[in-house]
Amino acid sequence: MNRKLGVYICHCGGNISDYVDVEKVKAAVEHDEGVFLARTTMFACSDATQKEMVEDINANQLDGIVVASCSPKLHLTTFRAVAERAGLNKYNYVHANIREQVSWAHSDNKTGATEKAIHLVKSAIARVRLAESLDPITIPSRKAVAVIGAGISGMRAAIELADMGCPVTLIEREHFVGGRVAQWDLLFTTDQTGKELVTRLYDDIAKRSNIRLLTGAEVIENTGNIGDFTLKVKVTPRYINERCDEGNLQRAIDACPVEVPDDFNFNITTRKAIYHNFPSEYPQYPVIDIKNCTRCGECEKVCGSIDFSQQEKTVEVKAGSVLMATGFDPYNPSEGEFGYLQFDNVVTLPQFKRIIDMCEEKLTFRGKDIHNIAYIYCVGSRQVEAGASSAGGSATDRYEEASRDISGENRYCSRYCCTSVIHSAIETKKRFRAVNNYHFTRGIRTYGKQELLYNESLKMGDIYLQSYENDPPSVIRENGKTTVRINDIMTAGKEISVNADLIVLVTGMVPRSDNRIASLFKLPKGRDNFFNEIHMKLRPVETVIDGVTICGACQGPKNITESVNSSLSAATKSFSYVSKGELELEPIIARVDAALCTWCGKCMEACPFDAVKKVVDGGKEIAAINNSVCKGCGMCLPVCPVNAIDLVAYSDQEMETMINALAEDIK
Amino acid sequence: MAAADTMFGESLKEFGAFDFNACYNCGTCTAVCSLSDEQNSFPREMVRFSVLGLRDDIHSSVKPWLCYYCGQCSTHCPQDAKPAELMMSLRRYLTSVYDWTGLGRKLYTSKAWEFGSIAILALLILVLFLFLHGPMTTELTDQGGVKLNTFAPWKQVEIGDWIMAGMLSFFLLSNIFNMYLKIVRKNKGLKIPIKLWFTELYNLIVHFATQKQFSKCDTLGTGKKFTFSSYWIIHWFLMSSYVIMFIMIVFFLGWFQTDNIYHWTHPQRLFGYYATAGLLTGVVWFFVARFRKSDEKSKHSHITDWTFLVLLFLTTVTGILVQIFRINGMPYPTYYTYVIHLMVLFPMLMIEVPFSKWSHLAYRPFAIYFDRVVQAAKKIK
Ligand SMILES: Cc1cc2nc3c(=O)[nH]c(=O)nc-3n(C[C@H](O)[C@H](O)[C@H](O)COP(=O)(O)OP(=O)(O)OC[C@H]3O[C@@H](n4cnc5c(N)ncnc54)[C@H](O)[C@@H]3O)c2cc1C
Ligand code: HEM
Ligand code: SF4
Ligand code: SF4
Ligand code: SF4
Ligand code: SF4
Repeated sequence: MNRKLGVYICHCGGNISDYVDVEKVKAAVEHDEGVFLARTTMFACSDATQKEMVEDINANQLDGIVVASCSPKLHLTTFRAVAERAGLNKYNYVHANIREQVSWAHSDNKTGATEKAIHLVKSAIARVRLAESLDPITIPSRKAVAVIGAGISGMRAAIELADMGCPVTLIEREHFVGGRVAQWDLLFTTDQTGKELVTRLYDDIAKRSNIRLLTGAEVIENTGNIGDFTLKVKVTPRYINERCDEGNLQRAIDACPVEVPDDFNFNITTRKAIYHNFPSEYPQYPVIDIKNCTRCGECEKVCGSIDFSQQEKTVEVKAGSVLMATGFDPYNPSEGEFGYLQFDNVVTLPQFKRIIDMCEEKLTFRGKDIHNIAYIYCVGSRQVEAGASSAGGSATDRYEEASRDISGENRYCSRYCCTSVIHSAIETKKRFRAVNNYHFTRGIRTYGKQELLYNESLKMGDIYLQSYENDPPSVIRENGKTTVRINDIMTAGKEISVNADLIVLVTGMVPRSDNRIASLFKLPKGRDNFFNEIHMKLRPVETVIDGVTICGACQGPKNITESVNSSLSAATKSFSYVSKGELELEPIIARVDAALCTWCGKCMEACPFDAVKKVVDGGKEIAAINNSVCKGCGMCLPVCPVNAIDLVAYSDQEMETMINALAEDIK
Repeated sequence: MAAADTMFGESLKEFGAFDFNACYNCGTCTAVCSLSDEQNSFPREMVRFSVLGLRDDIHSSVKPWLCYYCGQCSTHCPQDAKPAELMMSLRRYLTSVYDWTGLGRKLYTSKAWEFGSIAILALLILVLFLFLHGPMTTELTDQGGVKLNTFAPWKQVEIGDWIMAGMLSFFLLSNIFNMYLKIVRKNKGLKIPIKLWFTELYNLIVHFATQKQFSKCDTLGTGKKFTFSSYWIIHWFLMSSYVIMFIMIVFFLGWFQTDNIYHWTHPQRLFGYYATAGLLTGVVWFFVARFRKSDEKSKHSHITDWTFLVLLFLTTVTGILVQIFRINGMPYPTYYTYVIHLMVLFPMLMIEVPFSKWSHLAYRPFAIYFDRVVQAAKKIK
C-alpha cells in the first residue's frame, strides 16, 4: 500500500486552467489519504517541472505520483521516464486526463469542469494507493527469422537479415522464386527487366549459407509466439532430378499429353503438366505439376531424370519472428466487365505485359495485327458504391455493349498501374510499328518521378481522355469492330469514340485469393482485405500479432521501390525481436487465480489473441495465460463466471476504488 | 459523337505546329490569355481539339482568329506545349480549309508549290511585258524624268490592275463565303434576323481599320486594359500604308503613275512617301524581330512567314528604285526595275491575299463580325 504520494495538477498554459480552477482542485485533494504533497504547475511536461518532480520524489521518498494533465497518449512515456529517473518504479505513476476529458470537453461549464477534474484526480489517487511495482516480462527469443514468400520483398528481406547475421528460412509456395516481378519484362522507372532483378537477388541468396530456401513449400501449421514460433511446412517435390539432361527433358515435355492454362502468362497460353521455368525464374530446373499430372508415364519413357519416387515432406521451421511477404493478385475482372471474356480482344494489363514480351517484330494478338490500343484505367480499383455508376451492358440487334459497372468494395487506388500502363504504352510504341495509344483514365496518378513517363508519353502523341467519376467509358462491339466511347471531361463532356484493335483493362492489385496463411497467423486485415499494420505512419510494418511483420504488396498496393523499402524495414524490425536472444514485454496482462478457476473455457473463446490455454495444475484443469501472447486487452475478464481472472494493474479492487472515488458525494 | 484521330495532329505539323501533344489540360494558357473570355474560351480548348483531331469542331471555330498571338500562353505553359504556335498553325490550316480551290493547302505544305507558283506568275508578267511593252525611249521629259508611261502606258496597266483586283476579290470573297458557311451556318436551327447583319457591321469596319484587339494583349503583364504596343503601332503603320498604296494603284493609277515630277509637298509624293515609309519600317521591323526571335510570336517562323515578308520587301524596294531612276532620268534602269517590280507585286498579291498569310486582313475582322452576329442572334433566342 502506497502512502506517500505526490500530486501534480497542470495549467497547460491556460488550456486547462481557463476552465478548471486548478487551485481548487489542489485544495480538494491535498488532504486525501496518503497525499504528501500537491502542486499546481504551468507546464507539467516542461523540463523544469520534470526536474522538480524528480527532486520531490527523492527528497521526500515519495512512493507514488499522480499527474493530472493532458491525454496519456501524449505524455504517458514522459512521466514514466520521470519516475524511472527518480528511481521509482514506473507503474507507481498514474495519469489523470483533465484536458481532453475535462477542460476541452466542458468549456461551457466551469464549475462542473472543476468538479469533474477533482473526481478524476481523486480516482487516480485511489488507484495509485494500490499500485504495485511491476517488472517487464522477459522471454527468450530464438535468433532466426522465417520469411514467407520469395517475391522481390521476401528475397530482399532475407538477404538483409542474413547479412545482419541472422539465419533465415525463405519459404516459397511456388516452385520458382521471384513472385510477380519475374513475370514483367521491362520495368518502370529504371528500364531494367524483371529477369535482371530476380537473377541478382537469387544469386545473392545462393551465395549466403545462412539462408535456407524452400520452394514448393507451404506453411500448414503455426504454433508458438513471438520469440518462439514453430511452423510446419509442407514441401512438394519437383519429381525431377536436379542434374537432369536438358535435351531429353524437352522430349519429355513434348511427350506430355496434358495441357493446362499457363498462369505465368495469365492464361493466354498453355503449358504441359511437366514444364520448364521461364528465363526469369529460379531455381533453373523444371518441375512436374503433380496436381495436373495424370501419371500416364509418357515422360518417364523418354527422360531418365524423372523420378516419381520423390516424396512430399513436412519440414519444421523454428524462428523468433516471422516476416510476411506473400504479395498480391492482379484484379480479375468479372465476365463482361468492359467486355472481358465477352469480346476476344479485351485483355488485362498483366496479360498485355506478357503479350508485348512474347511478340517479336509485329504486335499481334489472336492472329490479328494491333495498331490502335485503348487502355481503360482503374479497373477493379477506385470502385464506387453499388448503384452510383451507370451499369450498361445491353445488346441490340445492331451492337453489343459491355457492362461498365464499376461498383465494388475496392475503394483504394492501386498506385502502380497508371505508371505501369504508361510505361508499357511507351515501350509498345517504341518497339512496334504504327501503334496509337488511347488512354481512358480517371485522372493520372504518376506521382513523384514517375511523372516524367507521363510527360514522355504525351510528347510521343499518346492521347489521354478522362471519364466523369460515375460515367465510365463504354465498350461496344458493332459489325466485328470494337469501339470505346467516353464523355471526356477535358473536352467539356463531349462524346469521343476510338476504334480499338485491342482493349487493355488496367487492373489493380487485390489480396491473394488463396490467403489461408492469414488465418494461420490470425493476421488482421484492413477494410480493403490487405494485411494491416499497427499504425500506418509510425509502426508501418508491425502487426498486432507480436513478432509477425508484414511488407510488400501483401500489405497493400506497392511498386517495387515501395515494396523493397518496406521489406528492409520489416527485416530490421524482425531482427530487433530476435537479435538479443531475449525480449521484454509489458507486464500489464491477465492473471488467473488457480484456486478459483473451474475451467469452463469461456475465457479461451473470448480471447482474440489465442493467449488462453487449458492446463492441468495439481490434478485440476484450469486456464493458463501465455504471458508472451497476452495483450492485456481484458476481453476474458467479464466472461469468467467465477471471477477468477484479474488484469495486472487494473485489478477489480483497483477499478472499484476508482469508481468509488468518482461516485463520492454524488447523490 | 466524334472519333478521335491522331493523324490530324500529324498533318497539323506541316502547318508549323509542334509539341502541342504535351498539353496536360491544366488550363493555364486560357487563364493568362487576355483575349479569351466566357463566350470564347481559348487556347486550351483548341489544343484539345487538335490533340483529338476533332476536325469539325476546328473548322467551325472562330477562336483561332480571336487570338492576336501575343504569346503569353506559351510563356506560361508548364508543359512547354506552345499553345500560341498551335493557334498560329490553326490559322494557317484554316486559311487552307476556307480555300475551296485547294491551292492554299498546297502552298502551305509544299515548298515546290509555293516557289513554283511565284515563279510562274512572275514569268507571266515578264512574258506580257516582252510582247506588250511600249517603245523603250531614252528621250526624257522637260523636267528630265523618264517617260515611263510610254514604256508602260498606265491605261493598259490599269486594265491589268482591274483584272487582278477582280480575281483577288473573287477568290477572297468566295473563301470568306466558305468561312461563313462553316462558322455561321453550322449553328443549325439558329435564326439570324437580317437586321443583325447591319447593326453588327461596325465591328467589321472598326476591327479592320484599327486592329484594336492588339491593345488588349497584355504582354508585359501590366494589368492594364489597354496598351499601345509597338507591335500594334508598327502593324497599323504598315497596314495603313498598304491600304493607301492599294487605293492609289487600283483607283488612281493615272494620277499616281505619272511622268511629272512634282514638288515634294504634292499629295502624290506625300502619299507615296508615307506608304513607302510604312511598308519599309514595318517589314524591316518584322524581319528583325524574326531574325532575333525577340518574342514568342517571332520565335518560330514557318517558311510562308518569310516569303510574305520577303515579297513585301522586294515590292517596296523595287518601287522605290523605279521612282529614283525615273526622277533622275535613267530610262533603262527605270524600265527594268519597273518590270521586276510588277514581277514581284503580282505573285505577292495573287498568292498571299486569297490563299496565304495576308488573307488575315479579311478573316480576322470577319471572324469577329460573324461571332458577334451569332452571339447576338443567340441572345434573342
Ligand atoms: C502488370 C504489373 C506490372 C508491374 N510493373 C512494375 C514495374 O514496372 N515496376 C515496379 O516497380 N513495379 C511494378 N509492378 C509492381 C510489382 O509487381 C510489385 O511491387 C511486386 O511484385 C511486389 O512484390 P512482393 O514480393 O511484395 O509480392 P509478389 O511479387 O506477389 O511476391 C509474393 C511471393 O510470395 C509467394 N507466396 C504467396 N503466398 C504464399 C504463401 N502462402 N506461402 C509461401 N509463399 C507465398 C508468391 O508465390 C510470390 O512468389 C507491377 C505490377 C503489375 C501487376
Ligand atoms: C492591308 C492590311 C494588312 C497588312 C499589310 C498586314 C500585314 C501584316 C504582317 C506583315 C504581319 C506579319 C508580321 C510578322 O511577320 O511577324 C501581320 C501580322 C498580324 N496582323 Fe496584319 N496586316 C493587315 C491587316 C490586318 C488586320 C485587318 C488585322 C486585324 C483585324 C491584322 C492583324 C494581325 C495580327 C493579329 C497579326 C499577328 C499574328 C499573325 O501573324 O497572324 N492585320 N500583319
Ligand atoms: S494508379 Fe492509376 S490506374 Fe491505378 S488505380 Fe490508381 S488511378 Fe487507377
Ligand atoms: S487479457 Fe485479452 S489477450 Fe490477455 S488473455 Fe485475456 S482476452 Fe486474451
Ligand atoms: S498551359 Fe499548356 S499544358 Fe496547360 S492547358 Fe495550356 S497548352 Fe495545355
Ligand atoms: S497567343 Fe496570346 S492571344 Fe493568342 S491564345 Fe495565346 S495568350 Fe491568347
